[in-house]
Amino acid sequence: MSTDTKFHIHHDAPEVIGRRERLGVRLLIVADGAFVFGMIFSYFYLRNLDQNGGWIPKEGHTLSVSSGWMAILPLIVGAVVHKLAQRDPSHQGSFSLITLAAYLYGGYYQLHQLSTMPFIDGESGAFEGAYASCWTVIAAANMFHYILAAFIALGLVLRSRRATVDPVLETWRIRTAASWFTWVAVSGVACAITTSFI
Amino acid sequence: MTTLDQHVGTRPIPNPKNSLITKLNAGTGLIVGIIFAAATYKGLSALVDTSIYHFQNQVLLATMFMWSIGFLVGIGAFIGPVRWLIGKDLTAEEQLYMAGDGQGIKRYFKYCTDHKVVGIQYLWGVIALLAVGGAMAMMIRTNLANPGGQFITPSVYNSLVGLHGITMIIAMIIVATGPFGNYIMPIMIGAADMAFPRLNALSWWVLFTAIPVLCSAWFLGGIPTGWTAYAPLSVQAGPGMNAFIATIIIFAVSTAVAGANITATVVAMRAKGMSWNRVPIFVIGATVSVALAIPAFPTFMLSMIMTAMDRSFLTGFFDANVGGTGWLYAHLFWIMGHPEVYVILIPGVAVLMEIVPVFVRKPLFSYTAAIVGFAGIAGLSVLVWAHHMYISGWMPMLNGPFMVTTEMISVPTGLIFLVILGTLWNGKPWLKVPMLSVYAFLWNMLIGGITGLYLSDVPADMYLHGSMYVTAHFHYTLMGAALTGAVAGLSYWYPKMTGHMLHERASYISFWLVQIGFQVLYLGMFIAGAEGQPRRVVDYAEQYATSNMVSTIGAYTIGIGFIVLLWAVIHSWRHGKIAPMNPWGAKSLEWTVPYPVPLVNFDTPPVVTSDPYGYGRSEK
Repeated sequence: MSTDTKFHIHHDAPEVIGRRERLGVRLLIVADGAFVFGMIFSYFYLRNLDQNGGWIPKEGHTLSVSSGWMAILPLIVGAVVHKLAQRDPSHQGSFSLITLAAYLYGGYYQLHQLSTMPFIDGESGAFEGAYASCWTVIAAANMFHYILAAFIALGLVLRSRRATVDPVLETWRIRTAASWFTWVAVSGVACAITTSFI
Repeated sequence: MTTLDQHVGTRPIPNPKNSLITKLNAGTGLIVGIIFAAATYKGLSALVDTSIYHFQNQVLLATMFMWSIGFLVGIGAFIGPVRWLIGKDLTAEEQLYMAGDGQGIKRYFKYCTDHKVVGIQYLWGVIALLAVGGAMAMMIRTNLANPGGQFITPSVYNSLVGLHGITMIIAMIIVATGPFGNYIMPIMIGAADMAFPRLNALSWWVLFTAIPVLCSAWFLGGIPTGWTAYAPLSVQAGPGMNAFIATIIIFAVSTAVAGANITATVVAMRAKGMSWNRVPIFVIGATVSVALAIPAFPTFMLSMIMTAMDRSFLTGFFDANVGGTGWLYAHLFWIMGHPEVYVILIPGVAVLMEIVPVFVRKPLFSYTAAIVGFAGIAGLSVLVWAHHMYISGWMPMLNGPFMVTTEMISVPTGLIFLVILGTLWNGKPWLKVPMLSVYAFLWNMLIGGITGLYLSDVPADMYLHGSMYVTAHFHYTLMGAALTGAVAGLSYWYPKMTGHMLHERASYISFWLVQIGFQVLYLGMFIAGAEGQPRRVVDYAEQYATSNMVSTIGAYTIGIGFIVLLWAVIHSWRHGKIAPMNPWGAKSLEWTVPYPVPLVNFDTPPVVTSDPYGYGRSEK
């Protein structure tokens, strides 16, 4: 048993703490959701306005629709694997390892896309067109989601290998992590759908 | 029930040996923050040519964010997450140490998780921000005392207006939910602490790191944009704009964390028997406010990230040459900006609604109507943002619908008025300073609300938009109503937070100076605005001279009033009359605990059997 709950300063049962933590994470998801909504709103606003015909970059350099989906596929894989892990707690560590690997790969892929995007003017270094700007902020947000998700998945992997954690509280934390993993997958899909409308 | 707190006197002060926590404080935070910032600035400056505008912006922004991260590393904010990551959760002794158990005044300079410590930290943070913002206001009014004022240069004046605005907005957002939401609210609902004590400390210290960043704007040439930071002016502005951007992004993180924490605390940690219809109205108001802030501030954060990207990476969100538009900024800003008005207003009003029943010894009139009023205001506030854009040229056909939604807000606001008036009706008020503030609120909010109706009206706004009339209007709502509520809260809860009564005579003097000065200041401003004087201008025509002089006299009166209040707060803290446990004879839970409030607030978890406004009812 961890001392975490044995002498917890609140004297609350692990179930109570677990539910509370999940609520807190869901409230933070609301904040992140507003941010994602703002990005999607901005994308369609600028796309439909097409100010001075400046939506599409010069020479039509845009990314393919599939590249947006490829970038978020690991988010979906991670969320699904984590759901499977919840059904089979005895192999939690192995499942978490797969989740972690998915997020690390996804993060790498997203970073690669960001560093090789084709719509920056070679001379000035300026972004060409509002599409390029919107795509970049969405990709950066995906990157942020990957980093946070990988941090949580790494924590689950390391903690599953230690015997000093409270099993009840840990079960709740795995559920709480599922809320975040599910949300980042949903937000990834929403962003991929958005960038499909070039 | 035996609580940890009962052992405080018998057990040794927690001292988790070999724990890094014991070695970290605000001093180490400053050192690590400065090292991170200096290393980032030096390192990046060596990599890029900082004489080029966008590279300079990249370096400055990175430096500011690394200061914030470095400070948090240095004070120990990441110890909890890292320990979670490696599977070595904090021990009970380490948690007690982080709660500041037995550490005296030192805990105020540590990453302390006790909600009462965080409340006091917020209180002094708010006082500091109001003092700085107020000093800037005095400089503005001094310059405007006479036409052709040469007290400050136009560019400094521009920066003063913008930095006064954002400093006051930040201060007002936290003015009630910061000190009282952290110190008082958990006790009011019978909780032992906030839901997430470490996040509570994080919200304060993250905000703290934003203050030097904001101040650095002065040393980087200031900001020319006003607090609204409209694009594309903000994209073209000098290096000081980076400080503004970084401040907002850091502040948005703090707000999200604090909002989630307060909301989770109220939802999940109320005492046994405290059903939703027994929750004190201040708690409802604070929760509505932070719950509104949770989805509102990320759009402001996004607008700032986009501005930073346009400035630092040459994207084109707001550049019409490459498909961007300033309208996008206006939308993102005001989608946050109008709910933000109510994020500020609602907690201040809720403080006053908490005070009225206590000082007239009557139950709160129609508790349900109060909640419907708050919910109505919060719900409608997200549907009115474009009334700030009537004359921007964006979708004139939508001006009418936005005028209707804006004017509809007066209905739930009227409900709030009725609740306060109904509670006062036939009561015999105990005219202490908190109660006087209720009357001041009714007067100020009436003027603020009615002048707001004119501004919501499209034809009237065509004339009044961008004038001093607007400035007077929103000061009547934000300062006249919300700040009045917060000051009332300070007078009311000061005995519980400090163990002393606030100096009574000084409080009265301060109240009257501030309220009289307030009417004088903004009466002058209304007249100047209605006659056509634009806001945010360093000089004005001779015809506005009298009203501006009147306003400046009012401003100085307010300034003196707040200095008196500051003296009262500092003096009473050390030398004030010792406060009894329940000096106002109130019925809510915070008055059932002694001062100093125990670490876990209640020796025995309270069980609530009635609402907190049962004055005049027979006890069962």
